[in-house]
Amino acid sequence: MMKRSLTSVAVVAALAMASAACSSSDSGTGGPIKVGSINGVTGLFQTPEVPQAVKAVFDEVNKQGGINGRQIELVSKDDAMNPQRSTEAALELLESENVVALVGSSSAVDCGLNRATYTNAGIISMPAVGVDPACFTSPNIAPVNPGPFKLITAMLYYASETLKRDKVCMYYTVLPGSGGGIDAAIKEWTDLTGKQLAVKDTSVGQGDPTPYLVKAKAAGCQAILYNATVGPWFAQAKTQGMQDVDFIVAANSYTDANAQAIPDGLNVYAGTEWQPYTDETLPGNERWAKIIDENKIQKTAFSQGAVMAADLFVQVLKTVKGDITRESVTEAFKNMKPIDYPMVGTPWIFGPGEAHSPIEGSRFVKVEAGKWKVLPEGFIVPGKN
Amino acid sequence: MLNSLVAGLTSGGVYALLGLCVVLTYRLVAVVNFAMAGVGTMGAFIMVSLMDLGLPWPVALVVGVVAGSLLSALIGSGLVRWFGEHDERTKAAVTVALFVAIGAIGLRLFGSTSTGARRFPTVFDSPAFTLGDVVVPQSVLVSLAFAALITFGVGLMLSRTSVGLRLQALSERPGTAQVVGIPAPKLAIAVWAAIGGVSTLVILLVAPRLGGDFSTLSGLVTTALAVAMVGSFKSLPLTLLGGVLMGLLEGFAASLDEIQKYRGVVPFLVILVLLWWRSRNEVWDTAHSR
Repeated sequence: MMKRSLTSVAVVAALAMASAACSSSDSGTGGPIKVGSINGVTGLFQTPEVPQAVKAVFDEVNKQGGINGRQIELVSKDDAMNPQRSTEAALELLESENVVALVGSSSAVDCGLNRATYTNAGIISMPAVGVDPACFTSPNIAPVNPGPFKLITAMLYYASETLKRDKVCMYYTVLPGSGGGIDAAIKEWTDLTGKQLAVKDTSVGQGDPTPYLVKAKAAGCQAILYNATVGPWFAQAKTQGMQDVDFIVAANSYTDANAQAIPDGLNVYAGTEWQPYTDETLPGNERWAKIIDENKIQKTAFSQGAVMAADLFVQVLKTVKGDITRESVTEAFKNMKPIDYPMVGTPWIFGPGEAHSPIEGSRFVKVEAGKWKVLPEGFIVPGKN
Repeated sequence: MLNSLVAGLTSGGVYALLGLCVVLTYRLVAVVNFAMAGVGTMGAFIMVSLMDLGLPWPVALVVGVVAGSLLSALIGSGLVRWFGEHDERTKAAVTVALFVAIGAIGLRLFGSTSTGARRFPTVFDSPAFTLGDVVVPQSVLVSLAFAALITFGVGLMLSRTSVGLRLQALSERPGTAQVVGIPAPKLAIAVWAAIGGVSTLVILLVAPRLGGDFSTLSGLVTTALAVAMVGSFKSLPLTLLGGVLMGLLEGFAASLDEIQKYRGVVPFLVILVLLWWRSRNEVWDTAHSR
């Protein structure tokens, strides 16, 4: 009897020691640091390069020994721009995978659908690409791009202050629910410059753009902000003889294909969200290009956001004292100091607060002979240039 | 107001062309062809891709049109062989499936709205004349002329030539046509091929106005169906008129600030009203024949 209980004590002790040994080698919580992301990989909004780039940064950190000896593991879920799948992906990441944070999401529906889930779970998300307005107005989400609204302010500021155009017009196509954000962005510009839009038209859709262009001509627009389909708009702008107008398109139009689709002879600028990716010698782009080249990832502006989000996450993660858990990571982000990152115009910070839109300003490129040419002015940050 | 109307009018020709393609297919082979714009877009994209590779445009144009014809002939032969005996609804459903499939393949091959924008050749882009504030390019006249050619040329061919008579027989009574010795399947596939070629040309003409990427262009079939409805899928001249009306309505909707937000909807609402007006005298339970 005595002998038997001694054995059981020995077994328990051995088990206890073994488990202690296990946890000590994994610095407390055990296993890798799991990080989640929700990305559109299939479907209408496709960004397969984003999770690849985030993973490439984490792999680099892991090769150098990880964070306090723990590896970072990215669990990326494809939501195919499908609301149902996006909601399920968030729950799976939070409950089954038990991730400590969301880093490098790039989905057109994630923020709007999952913002409350993130707040309730006390987890932070730093999307590589904030697409919908909810990404910039939620307590637990802070993207690394300026987003559509800060970009509008920067584009307006560029038109009126840098290009010095008096009659600035806006021809936009808007997603449902983003009208308020656009008005706020215009107001921010008006407050800074005291200027008003000559024409604001948010009804641009599919169909022949000629009636809009004719109206813009009649209104005497000197600069036109535009965010819809590029091809027909500029083909017809040329037909209508609008060579003396400065057109400024939003970041979604900043692609190689669009540069080629714009006819020669028109003045077309694009506001970018990060250092223009078409020039790899710009500050911050060298590191991005190296990571992307080494891992054979597609070079896009979105992949810049991915590298930036992953880099910033690792930097903040290194400041966490003690166990790396969801709580400690969230706390570190809410109490962090601003970080300068060369790929954007203003420092990035999460911080406390109910809404986060830390990145402002835009750097502008111009179409020349079928290619985007980076303009020398650097980042245009409204109110600071 | 006048400027907007004129601006809208300039797109009448391209809308008419889209509608005419649909009506033509329906008149000749009795299929509501949802894949029409998709087929034309495929041909058009093959053409611009070849031009990007450095081929001179006439060669690329011929290859593109032939590719559109072949794809259309392939669809046609599939419909003739496997769905010949089925009713119009089934055939239309098959073309819907094909439209989705072509869209998916096109997205893969040629990229999305932002990554797949192409510059289409604008041969007729120089201004023809200026009306008010609106510069009217030659392409407007070319589109209208092409639309008129299809309308009256095909009308004459159908009523005055023996091929036309056979085609009419084929579309209205395919079984009987075969019994009286018309080589129905072969003729039908030839018609499909011709329609594919015409659709490619039409997409090339409308692209500088209505879209530069694959999904936008292949999605133009909805506009085409709306225009075709004005002609009840039957009358070519009414379809031509429908296209012009569509352009005018868009211009009109863009000119009034109150309704400009609903610019995309207005033409469809008006067409709905037109259809209702035309069917007002029909008695309940009327058989809707072609």
